[in-house]
Amino acid sequence: MTLLDSRDLALIAAIVALGWVGIWLLLPHRHGGVKTARAYRVGALLSAIAVLLVLPYLTPPGDLLARLFFYSFSLLALLGAVLMITARNPVNSALWFAVVVLSSSGLFLLAGAQFLAAGTVIVYAGAIIVTFLFVIMLAQSHGQAIYDRSARRPLAASLTGMLLLGALISAIIAPGATRKDGDPAPIYSVGAIADQPPADGPIAAVTAQALTETSRLPRPLEQGETPAHVAGLGATLFTDHLLTVQVVGLLLFVALIGAVAIATPKAPIRPDRSTASSSPGSATTNPGGVS
Amino acid sequence: MTDPSFPFEYLSNYLIIGAALMALGMLGFLSRRNLIVMFLSAEMMLQGVALTLVGFSRYHGNWTGQVFTIVMLTVAASEAALALALILVLFHRIRSLDVTLWQDLRETGLPESVDTSGAEPYEPVPGPESYPHLTPSGVEPPHPRQPWEQRRG
Repeated sequence: MTLLDSRDLALIAAIVALGWVGIWLLLPHRHGGVKTARAYRVGALLSAIAVLLVLPYLTPPGDLLARLFFYSFSLLALLGAVLMITARNPVNSALWFAVVVLSSSGLFLLAGAQFLAAGTVIVYAGAIIVTFLFVIMLAQSHGQAIYDRSARRPLAASLTGMLLLGALISAIIAPGATRKDGDPAPIYSVGAIADQPPADGPIAAVTAQALTETSRLPRPLEQGETPAHVAGLGATLFTDHLLTVQVVGLLLFVALIGAVAIATPKAPIRPDRSTASSSPGSATTNPGGVS
Repeated sequence: MTDPSFPFEYLSNYLIIGAALMALGMLGFLSRRNLIVMFLSAEMMLQGVALTLVGFSRYHGNWTGQVFTIVMLTVAASEAALALALILVLFHRIRSLDVTLWQDLRETGLPESVDTSGAEPYEPVPGPESYPHLTPSGVEPPHPRQPWEQRRG
């Protein structure tokens, strides 16, 4: 039994090969050498073709407006990701990461996660601003540094990433590839099972017992009514996942203490000075010295 | 059998986009040498997983995936705080954001992975750099001051 037909295999192989060569050409040179503008143009073309070849695997959702937004958000996310990992300047990387975050929160909105879309924008906007500050503070703004102009094993790294992408795509589309119309979905939806009457079988009975009413997404209502989205999320967060909220709060607190403990300025430890100037301090702590 | 407004095909849309973000983030983390860009790539991998979780949440019709994503956002925030603190400390030690300068932390017996001896020197833009000039004010500090352009490594 073959999971994928030859057309799917050829398309995935094309995505892997084009993405490999394209991203390798777009990444910096291994030893920091200069690449010609033609290499960048060819790399951009091949990467764009590889991104466009992913699109046949996406099913157009809903009506025209939903399709338009879904495809534009997906394309923006993929292109922003490619440009983020290949940008020479870390400021440009942070900007393209902002594009990726904004388009993926658009995809969150299309999947009906309004609160998470807003939360992602808020959290990552803060993260990106802090990253910007770091780039401005630390990076060499005059001239690009050697570590920005050279990559670490770009050929092998892009092959690895693209092979991972090809394996993931084939694993995702394999359950639905041989499915005909009318067959049940390869993954059972828990919500649909829970909607069945419990007399239908043991699975439905167990699912109806396990799923409390607060943990289900709001039902689609009549036209004009909006389901209480954030209220539902808050209800499940503070009833079913109360311990999770506490643990997450503890995690934030520990991370805060750790960041303060790490980043507090201490006496600088330089390799050239550590032997000469630290002898009085080490004499008191270690009076015997090293034998 | 399933929710007609979000069938399996829409779920696989989200899974594919999430997988692509994850793979590209891993590619960037493996190949780039700037610590800040590596941090951003790790964040992008988290973003791809968040897309996957939100798609599964919608498909299964319960909130669990979104609660997972909230937990993941919190972990990402903690990770950002710790990673940026570590970057700051590492930068203060060697005045560089290059991750390969910390190669002596590797296992014993492994060769060095990056050789930049063949790198071409960067050609700076000719002409003097111009910065905004501010009139000094206040009391002159007792110790000699170094112009801040010379302090950058």
